[in-house]
Amino acid sequence: MRSLPDKSLAPKALSVWKISAVIESVFLFLIPLAYWGTMQIWELPLWILYALIAFAAVIAVLDIFIIQTLKWNRWKYKVYENEVELMRGVFIVERVIIPMIRVQHVDTRQGPILRHYKLASVTISTAATVHEIPGLQMEVADELRDQIAQLAREADPDE
Amino acid sequence: MNNWQRQHPAAIFISFLNSLKQLIVTLVLVFIFGQTSQGMSSIFFISFFLLILFGSLISGFIGWWKFQYYLKEDELQVKQGLIFRKNRFIRRDRVQSIDINAKVIQRIFGLVELKIETAGGGSEPEFRLIALKRDDAELIKKELLEGKSASQEKEGYLGEISEGMAQSLSLSDYKEAETKEQESSKAFTWDLTPKRLIIAAITSSGVGIAATFMAAVISQVPQFLPDWLINIAIGWIVQSSIVYVGMFLVTVLISAWIFTIISTVLKYGMFSVTKRGKDIHISRGVLEQRQLTLYENRINAVRIVQNVLRQPFGYCAVYVESAGGGTKEEDLSTILLPLCKRNEVMNLLEELVPEYAFEVSYESLPKESMRRYMIKLFVPLFIAAGIITYFFSYGWLAFIFPIAGGTLGYIQYKTAGIESFKEYLCIRSRQLSKTEVFLPKRRIQDMVHSQNPLQRLDQLFTIEVSVLTTVVGKVFSLKHISSQQKENYMEWYSYEESTETLLPEENI
Repeated sequence: MRSLPDKSLAPKALSVWKISAVIESVFLFLIPLAYWGTMQIWELPLWILYALIAFAAVIAVLDIFIIQTLKWNRWKYKVYENEVELMRGVFIVERVIIPMIRVQHVDTRQGPILRHYKLASVTISTAATVHEIPGLQMEVADELRDQIAQLAREADPDE
Repeated sequence: MNNWQRQHPAAIFISFLNSLKQLIVTLVLVFIFGQTSQGMSSIFFISFFLLILFGSLISGFIGWWKFQYYLKEDELQVKQGLIFRKNRFIRRDRVQSIDINAKVIQRIFGLVELKIETAGGGSEPEFRLIALKRDDAELIKKELLEGKSASQEKEGYLGEISEGMAQSLSLSDYKEAETKEQESSKAFTWDLTPKRLIIAAITSSGVGIAATFMAAVISQVPQFLPDWLINIAIGWIVQSSIVYVGMFLVTVLISAWIFTIISTVLKYGMFSVTKRGKDIHISRGVLEQRQLTLYENRINAVRIVQNVLRQPFGYCAVYVESAGGGTKEEDLSTILLPLCKRNEVMNLLEELVPEYAFEVSYESLPKESMRRYMIKLFVPLFIAAGIITYFFSYGWLAFIFPIAGGTLGYIQYKTAGIESFKEYLCIRSRQLSKTEVFLPKRRIQDMVHSQNPLQRLDQLFTIEVSVLTTVVGKVFSLKHISSQQKENYMEWYSYEESTETLLPEENI
């Protein structure tokens, strides 16, 4: 059995994800709002409105308090000498292997929320795909970027 | 040819016709899919149309006037643009593929179009010269393909993937460059015989797409029929809706089939592939002639496809995934052999891309995955059939579909197989067509194993690998492999010696 990757993301990343989930769930409440809008024009049953509100609320609560935590718990990465391994996904669990000799470049990037929490994401690009390790502490992210870049440079092409 | 040159003036006309064609396509689409509403006044519409025509004529002229190219040693320089000037330098060692096409428009003038694809993605990985004399195009192709001095020969065709990749390529190129001189004299050529062209056309799988299009067109036909005819037809339809639906389907299928046969013949007629040194030259087409040059070491995967009509007769088509050269119609792949017998493939690949010439016996999937393949197709169709039965008379006939779906699922399970042969990963799978793909480990950019909640019940996984094709990456996957197979292929792909030798991150 190949051992699972064991490095977690920064604990603060969970807070950032929860904030993003709150922002996203605001949009979820647009559905009952739109229904309420149509109710002003046509006669429509009221109970559907309550059902929609309840639905949006349940989804929002699940997303903010459970899904994000599960997602954070699942997210693991590990940097080996010759490859990077990622594990992610709440329902569909993915394990990704990216060999160092296939890495074309590594970046760190930050959005406004990430910056506020002094976090950054690391993106690893190959010729065909791009993978992101979201939400690491800034110093860790910078270190990781330099480390992967270094290992990618050293990777032996004959292997 | 040592100065700045413009394209043939016909370029103006060609680019004008191209924009006209797009305009007409848009109009036809609007006509077919949007029901005609008389909202817009026709004068406004016509003047708008004329304005666009005039505009595209002017822009075609400016485009031609301000577009100049200069063929130097090992390099093609291009400057273009009126307001935003742009200079491009296309270096020989960055060229991925060279395409010489003669579309119908170009053929009127006896000209060709030259398409060059370069490495390194970017916003414009491909580059076109739309109107050139064939001699000029051949000259550019020759310069960018072979170069003049022999010393540059040894640089090989690099400029791709990582530095390490380039090194490993250049080593092998070195050896091959020496033998290239001798090899270039003897070339291997394979032609698509007329008999096989006909078979390819009849068994082409483009029918589905054509059928959708035909259905859209035919459903618009009643608009043009006189009212009395429609009245008779409707009276008859109401009596026997099943017959009508059947008639409609048959008409659609037959016309789609004929359409596909003609288009396949036009597309793959005069197909010929030649291997000279490390270059693979493909030329094809009756009306639109296309000549494409690929490099053997740019090929990232080989795919052998047998559709349902071809499999019983042992025929198949062979595609290559190459950085450069792919077209949208073929999923960004390039067709190498439009039709040949499956048992000839190995010998043909031996000549064309010897690296991929092998046969493998695939390891089949575990028993548990049979259920997954069958349920996935059976259940949704079963529910749909239930709903149809409830709402329509004769709806119970729809229960044919879940049975067919379940059977297809079983066949998919039987087809599915995976094997690693030396440094190659081989995957065999089926949607409808049976597809085999050979992927060299050094071309696989990453490997993903995923598991959804249903797969978790049976400890099954999906394996996905990505390779680079024209411009974008392409993913090949196989569903429902066993956890043992997952471990094997992880280990096969992993570049770590063993799990014991990992370096803790902190120590580096």
